[in-house]
Amino acid sequence: MAPPSTSALRAPAMTARPWWPELWRTLIPAALLLLALMAPVMSDYALEIGFRLLLLVALAEAWNLMAGYGGLVSLGTASFVGVGAYVLTGAVNKAGLHWALALPLGGLAGALLALVVSRAVFRLRGLYFTVGTLALAEALRLFMVNFAPFGGATGLFLAVDPPGLQGLFGVALSVLVVTTVVMEVATRSRFSILLRTVRDDEDAAAQVGVRPFRIKLITFMLASFLMGLAGAAQGLKLGAIEPYGMFGMNWTVTVLSVVVIGGQGLRAGPVVGAVFVVALAELLADWPAVHLAITGVILIAVIRFAPQGLVGLGLALLRRRDFGSGGAR
Amino acid sequence: MTGTPLLQAQGLVKRYGGVVATDQVTLRIDPGEVLGVIGPNGAGKSTLIGLLGGELAPSEGRIVYCGEDITRVGASERARRGIGRTYQIPRPFLDMTVRENLLAARHSVQAFEPARQAAQACDAILERCGLIDAAARPARELPLLRRKRLEVARALALGPKLLLLDEVGAGLVDAEVTELIGLIQSLRHEVQGLVIIEHVLRVVRECCERLMVINFGKTFAEGPTAQVMGSDEVAAIYLGTAHGKKATPAAAPAAPAAPAKVARPVDVRAEPLLALQGVHAGYGLARVLDGVDLQVRAGEVVAVLGTNGAGKTTLARVISGSLVPTAGTLRVDGHDRTGQPPHVLSRLGLAQCMEGRRIFGTLTVEENLLLAARGVRDTLRAERLQRVYALFPDLAQRRRNAGTSMSGGQQQMLAIGRALMAQPRLIVFDEISLGLAPIMMDRLYEALAALRAQGLTMLVVEQDVDRALDLADRVYVMEHGRIALSGTAQAVRNDPQLRHLYIGTAD
Repeated sequence: MAPPSTSALRAPAMTARPWWPELWRTLIPAALLLLALMAPVMSDYALEIGFRLLLLVALAEAWNLMAGYGGLVSLGTASFVGVGAYVLTGAVNKAGLHWALALPLGGLAGALLALVVSRAVFRLRGLYFTVGTLALAEALRLFMVNFAPFGGATGLFLAVDPPGLQGLFGVALSVLVVTTVVMEVATRSRFSILLRTVRDDEDAAAQVGVRPFRIKLITFMLASFLMGLAGAAQGLKLGAIEPYGMFGMNWTVTVLSVVVIGGQGLRAGPVVGAVFVVALAELLADWPAVHLAITGVILIAVIRFAPQGLVGLGLALLRRRDFGSGGAR
Repeated sequence: MTGTPLLQAQGLVKRYGGVVATDQVTLRIDPGEVLGVIGPNGAGKSTLIGLLGGELAPSEGRIVYCGEDITRVGASERARRGIGRTYQIPRPFLDMTVRENLLAARHSVQAFEPARQAAQACDAILERCGLIDAAARPARELPLLRRKRLEVARALALGPKLLLLDEVGAGLVDAEVTELIGLIQSLRHEVQGLVIIEHVLRVVRECCERLMVINFGKTFAEGPTAQVMGSDEVAAIYLGTAHGKKATPAAAPAAPAAPAKVARPVDVRAEPLLALQGVHAGYGLARVLDGVDLQVRAGEVVAVLGTNGAGKTTLARVISGSLVPTAGTLRVDGHDRTGQPPHVLSRLGLAQCMEGRRIFGTLTVEENLLLAARGVRDTLRAERLQRVYALFPDLAQRRRNAGTSMSGGQQQMLAIGRALMAQPRLIVFDEISLGLAPIMMDRLYEALAALRAQGLTMLVVEQDVDRALDLADRVYVMEHGRIALSGTAQAVRNDPQLRHLYIGTAD
């Protein structure tokens, strides 16, 4: 079938490649390097906020890998964060490991948990998968509250002193570096093509030879590794962990709103979203009730008017400026 | 018996609850063979493809491929072993580019192939399927017929040994069917076996050595193509009036199958119900409509003909309000309605019956119908419902079934019925016969003729020249986004330019 001369959709003369993806690529390493260089001169407040921000970006990136690129909308974030924190504490306390070695163990534990539950949760698709992960998170939290050997409701104390704020900032930065590397590989390689086929249409993907289960499992384990790593970092910072905090819905909801506000399936989404969410939280720190209400309103507004998040909105505006608007509604 | 068959299926049964979709189907494809599968809509042809491709697990029976039992082997594993399929209703990966759609197949089969080589291989396939110009665009932007091409291209990217084509010829005009036949013929050297499900009889006639007719899930007839096509039984269940009719459109002024047309009074001095003047429209930088003038008067049936890509569907989208023209005006009853959104136009009495059907699958047939008449008094609504059921008894029988559980033809009836429920003053039918069995097309056009007799104003966008000419009072023929020819059905039928436009331009 040669292209008919009457083809309705001729490719528009789009020779100029958009410049923003390239810019973004050089921006990431530059920003990470800048943060590393700035750490020694940052105030305690800046380090504190920075730690929270970097960890949130890492978590949001991991969640975005699953939801934005893989179509796996999970409400189980808290499980993996919690497992990471508990494994770090356990490894330091019981096995006497240095915390720097215990950190990756937290990540591995997250990936292992993903492997164990994958059979069960992948039986469910779409919304049912989402509900399944939520059930997993709640079940795990209740288990941790009631299981005395892991400290029960009181939780555990880290037996060694956590590093100082500078050190913690460095830990968070390292977590983000690992996350960035994983994300770059997973979203720019041929793996990303396979992953997006599963997101767009799992059955059709199978018909072209993609093995959906395997692709989803790899994605789930990668994301869970990153979440476990972030959880371990959080556990290290707190020094004292308890199930309500580490396995709490708060993690899940915050990460979800970061990605939704920033932009799902877009590399810049989590960063923009995290900055926005953390800045808002700081501005309204003295009025927690107002903060919650405003976050809710913003979420509704974004979902209604910018389903691709703030980054998606920005890209759409750029594209319109560059190529002119089409007549299509 | 010559060597191992490429594929052998024995006693395949597929049950959905109590419904038997495929009932004891046995088939065999030898290397180098092309098997055609025909049958009425809803006979279980797509189910058969699903069973062979691995998407559906058979309730009974076994499938042997290259000497190995693959009955329990999943879809992705079968694809990796070389069974490629297309979907009747295309399912491209919408948010990926056209090239990425092919790369997915390529990468999953040959994971370590160098990227450049994979991209080149995919581009070669796109070139062959006429999609290379759209390689970097998201698949979402492709219109239906190009999505069908993408289905074929994607299946080819697997490098399949056995290719299952599910109605890839639907909606193509003659010249394009010739291209498709050329493509299929050229594939015979690369692909060991082909199974073709098709309603376009020319494809079946020219490509398939052997033919299998399926009816109610069972094998109804099987044998050499010519023999099966000549059978009276097959004509009765499937071919309908297409049986024995000449395949080339507009070859001769064929005797209309529908009852003779009665000229109806049309007030030519009144404002036309719908008038387009100098309409330009397109998508982004691609301009599709290039100054279209068109009028529909109350009580008229107007047909719009033209090759694929001439801009017929874009025209229908402009009239529905879902595409805003970049220039020109759209008037309803003489009032300028250019740029009004769809719901405003539909409130003015313009209804659409679109290609691709868009039935709500979670609602029953009756709910789908009632939904179209929201806010109408109950008694009036029931009355309209009865009228739709009288027109389409099939729908009355299946009123409690899910909308998408029905066959293609019945879904198309539902789509028409839904448009009628709003009691519109003008219905735009956009390629409603797409992908229907010949006999089902007969029934749909009988229904349209009945609506015509009731005085309904219609704008029919159609691929099938003969059927459109039989139905319409006036005809517009489009080419390259313009009206190339217009006039009464009789005048257009006898115009030598019609034949030229249809057969001469696309090749």
